[in-house]
Amino acid sequence: MLNINFPKIEKKDYPNLELNLVEPIHKLNLRGKNRDFFTKAGRILSIMLPTEPNTSATIKSISALWLSPDEWMIYGKDIDKNLMLSLDSEISKLNLGSVTDVSDQWVLINMRGKNVFEVLSKGSPFDFNKFKDTKNVTVQTLLNHVDVILHQNDTNNLDLFVRKSFSEHLWLWINDSSRSL
Amino acid sequence: MSENFRSIETKFLDKTNRISFKYNGKKYYGYKGDTLASALLSNGVHLIGRSFKYHRPRGIMTCGSEEPNAIVQIGGNGSFTEPNVRATEQEIYEGLEASSQNCWPSVEFDIGGINNFISPVIPSGFYYKTFMWPKKFWYSLYEPAIRMSAGLGKSPTQPDPELYDHNHLHCDVLVVGGGISGIIAASISADNGNNTVLIDDKNSLGGSSIYQNNENFKIDDEISSIWLDKKIKELKNKKNLTIKRRTSLAAFHSYNYLLARENLADHKSLDKRLNKLRQRLWKIRAKKVILATGAIERPLIFNNNDRPGVMLANSVKKYIDYYGVRCGDKNIIFTNNDSAYETAISLNKKGINVSIVDIRNNSSSILVKNAKDAGIKIYWNNTVVNTKGYRKIKSIQIMEMSKDGTNVVGKKTNLPCDNLSISGGWTPMVHLFTQSGGKLKFRDSDQIFLPNTEMSDQISVGSCNGDFELDDVIKNTVSECKNFISTSVTDYDSLKVSCPKQKENKNIWLLPNDKPLGKTKPFLDFQNDSTAKDIKLAMREGFKSIEHVKRYTTTGMGTDQGKLANMHALGIISETAGVKMGSLGTTTFRPPYTPLTFGTIVGRNVGTFFDITRKTPIHEWHKNHKAEFENVGQWKRAWYYPKDGESMHQAVQRESKAARESAGILDASTLGKIDIKGTDASEFLNRVYTNAWSKLGIGKCRYGLMLNEDGMVYDDGVTTRLDENHYVMTTTTGGAANVLSKLEDYLQTEWPELDVWLTSVTDHYATASVCGPNSKNILKKLFPILEFNDGNFPHMSFKNTELDGINCRIMRISFTGEHSYEINIESKYGKSLWEKCMDAGKEFNITPYGTETMHLLRAEKGFIIVGQDTDGTMTPIDLQMDWIVSKKKYDFIGKRSLYRSDTMREDRKQLVGLLTDNPNEILEEGAQIVQDEKKQPIEMLGHVTSSYFSPNLNRSIALAVVKNGKNLKGQKLLVPMKDKTINVTVSDFIFFDSKNERLNA
Repeated sequence: MLNINFPKIEKKDYPNLELNLVEPIHKLNLRGKNRDFFTKAGRILSIMLPTEPNTSATIKSISALWLSPDEWMIYGKDIDKNLMLSLDSEISKLNLGSVTDVSDQWVLINMRGKNVFEVLSKGSPFDFNKFKDTKNVTVQTLLNHVDVILHQNDTNNLDLFVRKSFSEHLWLWINDSSRSL
Repeated sequence: MSENFRSIETKFLDKTNRISFKYNGKKYYGYKGDTLASALLSNGVHLIGRSFKYHRPRGIMTCGSEEPNAIVQIGGNGSFTEPNVRATEQEIYEGLEASSQNCWPSVEFDIGGINNFISPVIPSGFYYKTFMWPKKFWYSLYEPAIRMSAGLGKSPTQPDPELYDHNHLHCDVLVVGGGISGIIAASISADNGNNTVLIDDKNSLGGSSIYQNNENFKIDDEISSIWLDKKIKELKNKKNLTIKRRTSLAAFHSYNYLLARENLADHKSLDKRLNKLRQRLWKIRAKKVILATGAIERPLIFNNNDRPGVMLANSVKKYIDYYGVRCGDKNIIFTNNDSAYETAISLNKKGINVSIVDIRNNSSSILVKNAKDAGIKIYWNNTVVNTKGYRKIKSIQIMEMSKDGTNVVGKKTNLPCDNLSISGGWTPMVHLFTQSGGKLKFRDSDQIFLPNTEMSDQISVGSCNGDFELDDVIKNTVSECKNFISTSVTDYDSLKVSCPKQKENKNIWLLPNDKPLGKTKPFLDFQNDSTAKDIKLAMREGFKSIEHVKRYTTTGMGTDQGKLANMHALGIISETAGVKMGSLGTTTFRPPYTPLTFGTIVGRNVGTFFDITRKTPIHEWHKNHKAEFENVGQWKRAWYYPKDGESMHQAVQRESKAARESAGILDASTLGKIDIKGTDASEFLNRVYTNAWSKLGIGKCRYGLMLNEDGMVYDDGVTTRLDENHYVMTTTTGGAANVLSKLEDYLQTEWPELDVWLTSVTDHYATASVCGPNSKNILKKLFPILEFNDGNFPHMSFKNTELDGINCRIMRISFTGEHSYEINIESKYGKSLWEKCMDAGKEFNITPYGTETMHLLRAEKGFIIVGQDTDGTMTPIDLQMDWIVSKKKYDFIGKRSLYRSDTMREDRKQLVGLLTDNPNEILEEGAQIVQDEKKQPIEMLGHVTSSYFSPNLNRSIALAVVKNGKNLKGQKLLVPMKDKTINVTVSDFIFFDSKNERLNA
């Protein structure tokens, strides 16, 4: 059997901030723009893909994050191989768009607590003033010069996606920044 | 025991908190809230340091960031030491140690003081002329001597142990300056629902108005300081307002992007700073900015105006009214305006002896009347012509001025004093405004530069906008803010303000003297020791522009950036040249406004966080097996794996032999990987690569070369056709992100008609590359169900398979010239896959090799590395890769440029091989190549791009780019090095297995 190895990220608690690795969890990149693509994706995922910039849609435990007018990140505990195959066969294979498994491309770190945005503002130029008071919003930004995708599920509860190769470095940086809270 | 100059009680200090500190090794006491300057003055210490050039004794002159003299070294010799700290800004803390700078052996007796006596022979600009000859003295004498005397203070020799960080801040309105206008502006802004941030560099708000107790200044029938104190208390309850004290704005960039430094711990003792942040750099994006940065008092320029005890009048007022410290017992105020009378009245009320010298003939101000009524002696129409006292002022000499103010008449009068407070009017602080791109205008009436045209959404209010009288400050601040914030009503609309008005103005930039200018020392720039005669000398030398005069005389080039000096320099130039001052303009105000520590600039980007690092999924294995790493882009790649004390050369020789003789394994996970889907994917590849892709069969791989639009090689890699409309492209490690952006850009802007979707999967897959004659045997053990014969699995093809039930994609491609396989697997299984490969390869002595061996193996085969063997100026034809450029395709990126006359030149630099005459001699990468060393000027033909010792060929090999290299094969060339010249022969760039027999071995 092959062993599974995730980056060295362990649960951490700081004042009003809790950090957790949320892996393994399936993640898909969806791309497309025609009506059939939206219909098929919506039917299979039971989610209308959000078209409003920087928003997300969540049904049960599947979330669709708007990344660009023709690109979404889909992730959640309810995504399984069958769902992925179904999307692939009905979208990619029928040339309606593109479905790509990016489960190992991104590492998901959950940050929750009142100090989430305190830490993020140390390394991100993004204006979180409105973002932090809005649920189901998402943004692609930089955190300590590293590309990240942020998804706020709930108030002060945020999923952070970072490319796996950067994840340990960013994790160290988040912990370093959290110690001065 | 030092004398106590603390005269009165003050609410601004915590008298219950007595603090001890050391200055030049001697222990003193002050109170919490004191600056080092106020604490030293309260102990009667005026002599703080020596001036930069003449080493003249200098004392505290101001109470703020404009201080030119009182700059000190904080801390001892340890890592906490810091030079050039202004005593006027440094708050004292228990255990603070400070010392004077630029003096030896002590500030009291400084050997460098000899410079003052030889000053006639070292005028401004003397070094430009003196150190020109004799030429040989430069290295042996001049430079060492200049270096020895250059600089102020001592840099720490150990790493800074303190913590700094950065933080981003976004707000609707940023108010810079916590004086009365800033407080009103912040209040109006916050009251109107704006997310407002107010920053001030002091530890308490209020500016100079908070200690303005003169009864002539009233707001709503209250003394202005009492009214202001109430308003400051109200600010704390405003919901939308954030107040940041001890925060100094360093830079105001375009589009309202500003940088501010917050001092978090500089006022705390070292034991309380342990593991705490010292300073923070705020990166601020403000929708609107209100500058309320105030004004600074101007000095007056007269002979010997730099002695310790010569201070700005308003600063003397702050020391007595805010800190309760008298700066002298016999005070003389020398002024050209009414504001200095406030200082005189304050001193007089506290029973301190004071008299006034005024260059004007009279003044009708109520302040002057109050002074007269108080019995203060005023010398009208007089000027100071000299001061006396070496380490502290002891007396002044004054003379009556002629009617036109250009000369002095009559006899000198000696006036004993221990403090001379000078006031030459006020200069609005427009530095930040101009940093943001704002343009200034000149107001002749009081000879000041004022904000004129803003380049971003900002306003200036208060005295930085030219309002110096309290009623104007309040009325205009309220009015400007209402327009700016778009509101019609504020709490400040019906304020009743009364204050003195100044009517009689008289300004003389360089005051007259009974001696010729050459015999006097009227200092302009106290920090850099430049005088009025230096400015005049510069003008005699032909310098007219203020920027040139600045550089010739160094006026305004100290750490205070000439905050006190620049206006006088302009004034003297204007008077001397007979031009209007407003037409001269100003020197450039560059950030930072006040010096920043390196720690603040760097923040946490030190040590581990100096640069971002990327790790492959197999990184831990490499680390556990003692790999040395090299940085490739941001990746940490295994470089080589030294065994038993091997050097890099030995390890690389062993690794490369093993790879050629049996089996090697490389972590190739860092290669960029882009998933390409869509019905137009083949057409897309046709357009981005130079070769043809339409006919590539499903299951096959092909090498591609990507060009820029200028025809130069941009990236390369192998792309595999996974399905009819599905490819996976690999890119160079360092180029992955840029290639993806470039391709996405083309799809969105140039080829929107193409049905193609790109997704980065670089991090999704881990890649183990197994090469060597036994690679097939190892793969057979790992994947027993897969047929590895050349018929079923030929070179440049791929197979989908499984390893222990996990999907794998195996490409049979080679970057070493050996029979090779690249196994791709989801990255979470990467380390486990690698370990499986190592286990399976054990019997074949599988040897992990790093990037250095990879480079050697590919160089033996003449395979290029984009970025090493190319530099953005190489076409495929230059690389002798004509075979990869399709002649049939209609178009591809860069095609047109390949047919430009310049890119078709035969004598362009071309890729060749180089063989040294001595096979054991290894060329240096980057070394220049020439044909004739004696030819002048020597002609550079090219340079070495890659160079190694090949154990497989038992000789050194090199790749190089050489002019007309294709036609030089077999020719002898020279590689001149520092200590010898190496003879080389141009060869084919494929050194090993030129028939590619090993690929299918």
